[in-house]
Amino acid sequence: MGSSEDDAALVARTVAGDRAAFGVLVERYAGQARRVARAVLGDPDDADDAAQDGFLSALVKLSQYDSRRPFGPWLMRIVANAATDRRRRRNVRRVEPLDASLVGGGPRPDAAAVRSELGDRLRAALKELPERRRTAVVLFDVEGYSHAEGTVRSEVFHGRRRLRTLLADWKEQTR
Amino acid sequence: MKEDLELRAALKAALEPPGDQAAFVARVMAQYDQALERATIPTLDVLASWFRPGIAAAAAALIAGFLLGRTVLTPAPASIDAAMAPLEGPGLAALVTAPDPPDASVVFSSLVEQR
Repeated sequence: MGSSEDDAALVARTVAGDRAAFGVLVERYAGQARRVARAVLGDPDDADDAAQDGFLSALVKLSQYDSRRPFGPWLMRIVANAATDRRRRRNVRRVEPLDASLVGGGPRPDAAAVRSELGDRLRAALKELPERRRTAVVLFDVEGYSHAEGTVRSEVFHGRRRLRTLLADWKEQTR
Repeated sequence: MKEDLELRAALKAALEPPGDQAAFVARVMAQYDQALERATIPTLDVLASWFRPGIAAAAAALIAGFLLGRTVLTPAPASIDAAMAPLEGPGLAALVTAPDPPDASVVFSSLVEQR
């Protein structure tokens, strides 16, 4: 597959009915989409469902995409919206979470356990942030998106301040 | 605002999906045809299929309303025969002298008598 082909060309081929071109886009953005959806939803399975919804929704809306703009942010907005929709629906039929020991599948090696605990804390901290702030932090700090607009800048600033504090505390504890 | 590489690495690790990416891509691609198929159903056809029973019911109600309205609102023919008929008919007399409650046709005919 032509993975070096730029997004706009792949989009144009997809709109023309080229399934393989869409496959390249999915491969290229799968990681980002799944992380963004997980930032919104927390649960990885729900996040994958939402990321899938986002990709398929983007596929059917692809003719509305303005190829003069970057494809990634357009797609991530759709994914984030799909995740938000799914979270709203999930809140309506909320179920008790599984016990952490069942989810984890037994004891872990020390290093992995340490990383896992940090991950748990970060995910918990992300969960406390307002959704818009959470998505902004993930897009900026994890996915490397630029943030020219003022309101997003403010969201990133406040969101990462909370996460940085948590990370610093964590480093103190593990020293 | 500067990038925070440490925070980036930690967050990326925290949000990294546990499953295989290739499996995820395959899963999305398995829905490709279905998604396009759903999208190509013309919206007006969908709306029409939803509203077809509604349109039929509305049309039936309209016709029924028209017929009923015509029956009620159409004035009786103003012939001399119609004007004289109550004097000879069972209308008012039957209403006043009947041992049982009157039925609707009698009441109606008595009203016609008043006109």
